[in-house]
Amino acid sequence: MTGWSRRSFIAAATLVALQAAAPGGAAVLGKLDPADAPTPQRRKLLRMVADHVIPSTETAGAGAVGTGDFVLVALAHGLDGTRRPPRSDLAADPAISPFLRSDGSLDHAAWLDARLGPGWLALPPARRHAQLAALDAAAFARDPTADPWRAIKGLILTGYYTSEVGGSKELHYELVPGRFDPKVPVTPATRAYSSDWTAVDFG
Amino acid sequence: MDKTQNMNAAQFDVIVVGSGITGGWAAKELTEAGLKVLLLERGRAIEHQQDYETEMKAPWDMPFRGEGDAALYARDHAVQSLNRHFTEFTQGHFVNDAQNPYQTGPDTAFTWFRSYQLGGRSLTWGRQSYRWSDYDFGANKRDGHGTDWPIRYADLAPWYDKVEDFIGVSGAAEGLPQLPDGKFQPPFALNVVEQAVRERISAQWPERRLTIGRTANLTQEKDGRGLCQSRSICARGCSYGAYFSTQSSTLPAARATGNLTLITDAAVEHLDYDPKTRRVTGVRWIDSKTKTRSSASARMVFLNAGAFNSVHLLLNSASEAMPHGLAGSSGVLGTHIMDHANTLSAAAIMPGFEAWTSFGNRPTGVVIPRYRNMDVMDGAGHTRGFSFQGGALQSTWTAGKREAGLGADFKRRLQKPGPWRMVLVAFADCVPRATNRLTLDRTRSDSNGIPQLRIDFAFGAEENAALAQAKADAAEMLTKAGGKVMFGFDRPGAGGTAIHEMGGARMGHDPAASVLNKWSQAHDVANLFVTDGAQMSSSACQNPSLTYMALTARAAAHAAALLKSGAL
Repeated sequence: MTGWSRRSFIAAATLVALQAAAPGGAAVLGKLDPADAPTPQRRKLLRMVADHVIPSTETAGAGAVGTGDFVLVALAHGLDGTRRPPRSDLAADPAISPFLRSDGSLDHAAWLDARLGPGWLALPPARRHAQLAALDAAAFARDPTADPWRAIKGLILTGYYTSEVGGSKELHYELVPGRFDPKVPVTPATRAYSSDWTAVDFG
Repeated sequence: MDKTQNMNAAQFDVIVVGSGITGGWAAKELTEAGLKVLLLERGRAIEHQQDYETEMKAPWDMPFRGEGDAALYARDHAVQSLNRHFTEFTQGHFVNDAQNPYQTGPDTAFTWFRSYQLGGRSLTWGRQSYRWSDYDFGANKRDGHGTDWPIRYADLAPWYDKVEDFIGVSGAAEGLPQLPDGKFQPPFALNVVEQAVRERISAQWPERRLTIGRTANLTQEKDGRGLCQSRSICARGCSYGAYFSTQSSTLPAARATGNLTLITDAAVEHLDYDPKTRRVTGVRWIDSKTKTRSSASARMVFLNAGAFNSVHLLLNSASEAMPHGLAGSSGVLGTHIMDHANTLSAAAIMPGFEAWTSFGNRPTGVVIPRYRNMDVMDGAGHTRGFSFQGGALQSTWTAGKREAGLGADFKRRLQKPGPWRMVLVAFADCVPRATNRLTLDRTRSDSNGIPQLRIDFAFGAEENAALAQAKADAAEMLTKAGGKVMFGFDRPGAGGTAIHEMGGARMGHDPAASVLNKWSQAHDVANLFVTDGAQMSSSACQNPSLTYMALTARAAAHAAALLKSGAL
């Protein structure tokens, strides 16, 4: 089996499995305050963006495991500080101010929607990717707290690597290691552990 | 079986208030001495194993993937959510801040971390278990801060032995006078970076010893308790019983005597005092669920509600005979509270170890015990000690939040363990000050109508100087060990950050200047013992819980002897 077809097989099998178990984000999406409930278009946008950040490889990508919906829920509930009002200078920024809610917090998803523009979803994949990569590079070239994209990207990573696929297929997951080995050789097969809680907290 | 009938007419030998680390020990020791004990816990019952609801769950089993609902936390857990052990998995083991308010003075920042449940903070503690030395018990006498401890290391050494024997502490003997060795189970190993750093620091500074943390996690089975499984999710509760908690250790022992009556959801509001006999006669409490009031009498009371809550209770038990609070005739009740001045002194990248990783989640970091102001006063602007805790770790996917990149290459990068880093976090001795104190805020009551506790607290020049030196030392050590220091801080976090709040009912020789005598017994009230953190006269710079346990066991033996001899 070639690498490509093997990847496709695994990804397809993963998707079948996921249809049986609803992704975690979807479980609470329906409980959101109506003001925070996303439109189908917004859900599609976040799913697509998530998939460009963490695409399907040997394991399913972020979009397929429900990361888009998770991010929308997370943004509504303010994970990673996303419901705290931005600094006053940022709030006054004309690129930010149109997307502030009445409580002063930023509607990150609306900002991203506008930032990418109405035609982004219809672009060919390579152009979508290039635009998002440019946005990402620009965000990380700035003051770390200044660009809303960093929070969105962070929540995409949270959504993916705390999903069963991201946490236990893409990375290793071992809730009960049973022992501590202090010195283990790194090999090409070595993967990080999503259950290394200290690394998750402080890495 | 736990008795829950009306206790109004009941008579006990001892009432123990609080079921956390020290309350569990008091209950164990006193019941094993043959005394009938009523143990009152303000929080809900949590039974070992059966009530650790999230213990085996994965992030994807949780509504907010283990990170938790930030909107809920902002509303109900604004303080508790700052605790590093607070997660979506453990949130049920911390109080609701909105329902349990406290006040702070205008110049005070204090994060008071609390766990109101059976077992208290024994379920959520960091498990670091260190003996104090005579550098610590002699500190107040040497530099004149606070009041002299009426005990020294020799008074406590056999009780440390007893406690370590029972709870199980893993650690490495190092022969250091400032951090006496205990009765250890085999230590967890240093990882490859920590081992190298230990050797490189020792080569440069022989008096500085990086060693594995001494932790109350079992590396050998003990009394029906299982081995630590290297999960490092202790605060969820551990069905293996592999770390010391009330549930895993002291409560089963107390129950086995048949002398224990336990009531949960019982928030004690008042201790009754008889001025004619100068004795406490009993306690009154409010059922947290029904709001009904009950009381019970006893020949003796042990206060183990947690340092600040024990002081709160004494202050709220003021009477005509004791207007400054029960056992408050000295005027120092509530004063000289402390918490370690705590900050991240240095974080460094540690190159050269890329060929190695580790497996499993060790439930402890490393420690560099105090090395300054011992026999030579070499502190720059401070007279006491600081120690470091920390460790070497590799990053994982969360590091991707700080990195540019997206797509398949980015995903593959995050699949591998990241670079090794090492962090050193300083814990500096906190000088006891009269101005750092607890009082009742009579303008604000809690839901039971009890005046809220007010905390006035600030670190001073001593702590700031210690942390400045700690930052410089940490950077120098990690640099000498081959690291590239990224950042470090020299100012303490808010009071309470170390979760070592203590003092307020200090021990001392002089009844006019202290609340408790050398047996943790109130100078004013012979049948009242306070054996939690409230009794501390100084803070040292190592974790205090083992010392609280040893002091409790010692006080319980003394109290039981007094009771049996008819002296009480």
